[in-house]
This record gives sequence, structure tokens and C-alpha cells, in this order.
Amino acid sequence: MNRSEAPKLKQTEHISIIAPKISSKFPVPFYYMKEVPNATSRLELYFNAGTIHGKIGLASVVSGLLLSGTKDMNSTEIHTKLDNLGAYTDVSIVHESVIITLYGLNDHLTEISSLYINSLSNTDFKQNEIDELLADRKQKLKINFEKVSFLAQREFTKNLFFKSKYGRVIEEQDYDFLTREEIIDFHTAHYLKGLYKVVLVGDFSESKVVKMQDLLSPLCVAKFPSFPNKLMNKAGRFSVPKERALQTAIRIGRIMFTRRHPDYIPFVILNTILGDYFGSRLMSNLREEKGYTYGINSMISEHLNTGYFFIATEVAAEHKESALKEICLELKKLQTELVESNELELVKNYLLGQLLKSADGPYAMTDLFVHLQNYGQDIDYYNQYIHEINEISAEKLLLCAKKYLNWDDLTIVTAG
Amino acid sequence: MIEFERFELSNGLKVLFHRDKTTPMAVVNTLYDVGARDEFEEKTGFAHLFEHLMFGGSVNIPDFDGPLQRAGGESNAFTSNDITNYFNHVPAQNIETPLWLESDRMLSLAFTEKSLEVQRQVVIEEFKQRYLNQPYGDVWLNLRPLAYKKHPYKWATIGKDISHIVDATMDDVRSFFKKYYHPNNAILCIAGNFESNYIHDKVSYWYRDIPKKLKPARIISSEPPQNDYRELILERNVPADAFYYAFKMSHRKSFEYYIADLLSDALGREKSSRLYNKLKKELNLVSEISSYITGSLDEGLLIISGKMNNGVNLEKLDKELWQELEAFLGKPMPQIEIDKLNIKIRTAREFQDQGLLNRAMNLCHYELLGDAAAINEDINVYQSITTENMLEVGKAILQKKNCSLLKIIRKNT
Repeated sequence: MNRSEAPKLKQTEHISIIAPKISSKFPVPFYYMKEVPNATSRLELYFNAGTIHGKIGLASVVSGLLLSGTKDMNSTEIHTKLDNLGAYTDVSIVHESVIITLYGLNDHLTEISSLYINSLSNTDFKQNEIDELLADRKQKLKINFEKVSFLAQREFTKNLFFKSKYGRVIEEQDYDFLTREEIIDFHTAHYLKGLYKVVLVGDFSESKVVKMQDLLSPLCVAKFPSFPNKLMNKAGRFSVPKERALQTAIRIGRIMFTRRHPDYIPFVILNTILGDYFGSRLMSNLREEKGYTYGINSMISEHLNTGYFFIATEVAAEHKESALKEICLELKKLQTELVESNELELVKNYLLGQLLKSADGPYAMTDLFVHLQNYGQDIDYYNQYIHEINEISAEKLLLCAKKYLNWDDLTIVTAG
Repeated sequence: MIEFERFELSNGLKVLFHRDKTTPMAVVNTLYDVGARDEFEEKTGFAHLFEHLMFGGSVNIPDFDGPLQRAGGESNAFTSNDITNYFNHVPAQNIETPLWLESDRMLSLAFTEKSLEVQRQVVIEEFKQRYLNQPYGDVWLNLRPLAYKKHPYKWATIGKDISHIVDATMDDVRSFFKKYYHPNNAILCIAGNFESNYIHDKVSYWYRDIPKKLKPARIISSEPPQNDYRELILERNVPADAFYYAFKMSHRKSFEYYIADLLSDALGREKSSRLYNKLKKELNLVSEISSYITGSLDEGLLIISGKMNNGVNLEKLDKELWQELEAFLGKPMPQIEIDKLNIKIRTAREFQDQGLLNRAMNLCHYELLGDAAAINEDINVYQSITTENMLEVGKAILQKKNCSLLKIIRKNT
């Protein structure tokens, strides 16, 4: 046996995805994945209730009060009933939506859903519940202000989504200006008529699915929401002071595009090389070569009509300037030197392997498909994705880097 | 039901194979029976530092991650007070790549000075990022030595002090490897859509020539019974006072472990739990409160922790908390409440078992406990817990002389 010789590799050539069905009898997109080989199930509800709506902080506060009680049940009673059904629930808020996720065994999910929707629809927003939540939020915010990562992210958000509702960040006193009336109005406008997408996974009978649809249809939006398609970051260097911090948090990025853009896939490859896997150039340089940091990553994120790219890390305070210099050098290198075939080959294989992993199992397949649908794309997109990855050239990546990775175009934030 | 096969190589390597016909991916998981509890008190943080060095190249292969990424896979690891666990996720057709890589680093590491120097820095940054540069970040660095006086659980996995990481030498690295990293101290699990023969052949091919060594004897100071109430107050630059009540509880293999787990759920896992209701919703003393167990193999801790509302002092909470615990132990828990806790556990388990990696890791974990087959049993153990069990174990655990309290209070600036 020759241990220094690697076993032969076989590249991933295609992925097989079972797509969820799209229901034609529902006012908004309703995706249903039935092919689940076990008793688990999940219902995901997308509401047009994200942070870009209403006064600063309002959307987030309302999302925290959805199970705070109705005329007939207080919040403890609601949670006890949900727990009796074995339910796990989650509410996450992003710029463009609130996503409510209900997890449970498929025997219980219809009952869980009906309890949840009933509570959400009839929330009466008692003043004491509002006060309690506001106090909790203020405390959390104060704690977050002690974290350099939070301070950097906040300053970055302001300048990345410059002069837009996406770039708003909350101050403690903002919570004092939210009234019960505003909360009720927001709830009426963005939840009672705010549901714009539903994703159901689990093995259910036809009649149970219909039952769930009947439950949800009164909440649907009259018209599918629209979102801005132009955002601009404010380029330049911004710093947030934090006394006695041992580490400096760094965020660097810019506004990009969604996967509808022809440069999207080349940029995905470029981003992977730069900082989106363990062997990336940023990790190799700043962590594995110099030991400045525990970790550094670069990421691509998409809204419905826009997108952005950013690098995030926490580095030893004394290495802040050297770290920025190295990050800048890595970007320059991508703009001036062709990626060597060895590295390119590795990244291509890695990306294809990751694609295979991201389509493993009914939940993953559903998420992959539903995300594609946001951009009007179908499973066929992944054939194109595999094809483009296989065909990409170092020259094309260099052009892409020249176009999108100019240091002067970036928003650069440090906190520490 | 998670099915698996088990076989053992002549060098002592225990191998588990779990077939899943539905997945295009494969997992190779390796558990080494070594954790921070096996360290010397003057050289803590070493098991974890060593985990970093395992990615710095092995005797025949200069780079661990590169070849795996080239195979479309990825890898990571974690260290706890009890174990060190390495996992690889790779497209099934390239299963041999992680076997090649993992077996080579089980055979021997490259032991380069460069790797030690850099990973030392990386771990120091990890220490800062997780424990020192975060509000409440040093809680576990202080709570552990309060609760444990003898047992090595008194230090955190990251180490007792940064200086221990700074002082680690290449000799330490070599002797640690020699003692703990060999087939007889490891459990390997392969999961994916393969024929059993194929896995037997491939595992045997890559691992059989790794020399057999003696499994290291574990000599750990056991923790004497507590019998005294302990309290530590720390002033920190934090916006809210916080509390951490740590109660000693039984070890992982005991029935009492499961009962304590269920107890912690009853007290403070969800928004329908006892303490959340009483201390947050009813009395409005705290902004958050929860209860959980550390889940360690030796005698562990049941924790009740949370943060105070602005303007409420910790003494008030202390009084109400003990009163509520007393009330809780004064009456048998209704069966319906136990059923509620159990259905949550069952649901969570069903979801966890979705993941191939989870299944592979858990199989190794249960095999370490004595028998991988227990992976399918422990739901039944939870289901068998009675009202009487809850009361009895609750009374044994939730008492003052079994408690260590850490209070973090705001520095007046």
C-alpha cells in the first residue's frame, strides 16, 4: 500500500432532486413535499412582515408577541398546549419577511398548526406582555452592545444598505416610542393579511392538506409583495470604538445581485476560493498561516431582488491593521493573478460535493427548490450550475474579481 | 430504528457501519476516547489544542483538508471534557478519501513546529473570542472550579488559563498522541449507502496495519460528595445581573441521569416550564431563565441560569427560586406533565435522526457508553420514568448542600 497516494476520485456529475408539488388551489404559492420516510413534519409560513416595514423596531417587536395571548388563553396556556403536542416552533425575522416554522410529528401537525394560527390571529396584545417584551429587548440590546461582532455588524448594516430601510439599526430609546396601537395596526396589516408563501413537508393525507389550506387561506395577501431592486452601499472605512476589547471585529462587503444575474455563478466560485470553505485563501492566510484569528469567512446573501457579499472575522486587536492589509492583498491577488488549475479543480469538486449534500433528504431538497422559485427558476437551474462550474475558466474569474472586488468599492468596518 | 453492524479489527479498532439507502452522501466519524478530563492539571486545554493539530498534516499526507475538499467533502471536529470527535462528510463515491486520510492520521501525525506555533495562536484567539471578549463569557471558567474540587471537570475544555496553551511543547504533543491516538482507543462509524462487504474490505485495508497499543488506563480523581452550599460573586462589565445555580447529578450511565434530564426540562426548558412561569411570567423577576444538564459522562451538573430584570436584586430571586423548588418537590408531578416532556424528547429525537452525521456520531457515542444498540433504547428509558422517580431524584438533587451558585453582578461604573 502506498499511503502517500490519494485514492482515485469520482466527480459528482448530477444530483437528483424530488421537487415539492405546487398546489394550484391556494391563493399564494403553497409547496408540498410528501416524500418523507418517517414521522417528522414541518410547516413554514412566510409573512410580509419583515424589518423594512413600519417604524424602526416595530416589526421585530410584533414578531415577538405572536403567542403572547388571546382573549381566551394566556401565553402560558398556549405554550403548554403546544408542548403537549410535542411542537417546536420558531420565528425568524429578516428584512423582507417573517418566517414562522412549526415542527412536529405528522400525527400532530394539523392540530399544532390550528392552535398556532388561532393564537396568532387572535392575539390581543395585552399591555403587560408588551412591556415585558420591550424590557427584555432593551436588555438584550445592551448585552449585544458589549460584543464587538454586534457593533461591527450594526455599523456595517448601516453603510451596506445606505439610506434605505434595510440599513436601519435600533437604538435603545426607539423601543420607548412604540405604542400598542401601532403594534395592533402592524399585526392587522402584515399578519392577518400577510401570508405570502407556505411550505409543507411531511407525509399527510390529501384531506389533512386541504384542512391546513382552509386554515391558512384567510391570512393570505391580496397581492404578492414587491421589494426594491436597487440598493447601494457607502464605500469607505468606518470604525466603532470599544474600550478594552481583546479582539477587533471586521466586516467588509458590498451590494451585489441575485442568482438571476449572469455573473452569479462565477461569483459563487470566486467567493468560495476567497473565503467560503475551510481551505479558502482567507482562512489559509489569516488563520492557518498567521494565526491572527479563530476564523474568517466570506459569504453571499440574497434578498428577493438584490444581494450582497461580505467578509466577517474577529482578529487579535494588535493585528487589526495587518489583517486588513492581508484581506486587501487577497482581493488584489484575485484581480491580478489567474487562479491555478490545481486550486480551481479542488474548488469545483468541493462545490459539486456541497451541492450533493445540500440536496440530501426531503427537507434539504424542499429548501433548495423553494429558494430557487424566489428567482423564477426550476430544478433545471442546477444542471446549468453544474455545467457552469465545470466550464469556468481562470480568466473568467479574474474578470469577475476585477469587476466586483475593488477595495475602493467596499464598505469596511472595524469594531474594537 | 437505527440499524447497524459492528466489527473489530485485530488492532482493537471498533467499527460500526450504518447503511442508509436513501442518501448520496457518506459520513466517516471517528471518536477518540480522550477529553479534557484526561489532562494534567498543570497542562489543561491540551486535548482541544491537539484536535487542532490533527488537521496539520499526517505522516504520509502533508495536508488533511485539501484532499478531502478535492473529493467534494468537508471535515470538522470537536473536543469536550469527555471525548474528541472527528467527522467527514463526503459524496458516497469518494468514501475512500476520508478512510485514507483518517487512517493516516491515526497512524501518525507530521508533528511540524509550524503547525504547533500557528494552532497555538489560533486557539488563543478562540479563547478570547469565546471566553474573554464576550459578556458573561468567563462564566464556565469560574463555575466549574466552584462546583468541582477534585474531578478534572473543574477546568473547561479550552483550558484553565491561556498560559497552559502558550507553554505547550512538541514533546507534550508527541506523548499525547502516543497515549491516546491509536485504534484501541477509537470508535469508527461509517454511514451511507454501501454493501457491508465493501465497508469491511475498505476499513480493513486502510486500518489493519496500524499497530495495536494498550488502551490507556483512566485514573481520574473522583469528586467527593459536596455536602456544602457554595457561592461565588463576580463583578463584571455587564448590563444585567446573572445567576448560575449548579446542582450535582448522576453520571451518564445511570437511570438517574435520564430522570435529571427530564427534571431540568420540567423546570426550565420551554415557555411552559415551571420556573419560566413562576419567576418570569408570574413574578416578573427575570428577563430569561432556563434549566439544562451538562450531559457529561461522569457526575454532571444540572444548571438553572438566567438574567435579572433591571431593578430586581438577586436575593429576591434566590428566595423565590428556593420556594418554588420546594413547592415543586412538595407534590408529585402529574403524569400529563411527564407525558408532555416525553413527547418533546421523542419529537426532537425524530428530527435529529434525520441527519446522517447525527446518526453516525450518536452510534459512536453509545458504543463508548457500552453498546451502540442503546441508541434505539433510550427513548424507552425516558418513557419509563414515573412520578415517584421524579420526586425522589428531585429531592436528592435540588437541595442547598448540593448546590454551587455563581452570581455575576454589574460593576458600578
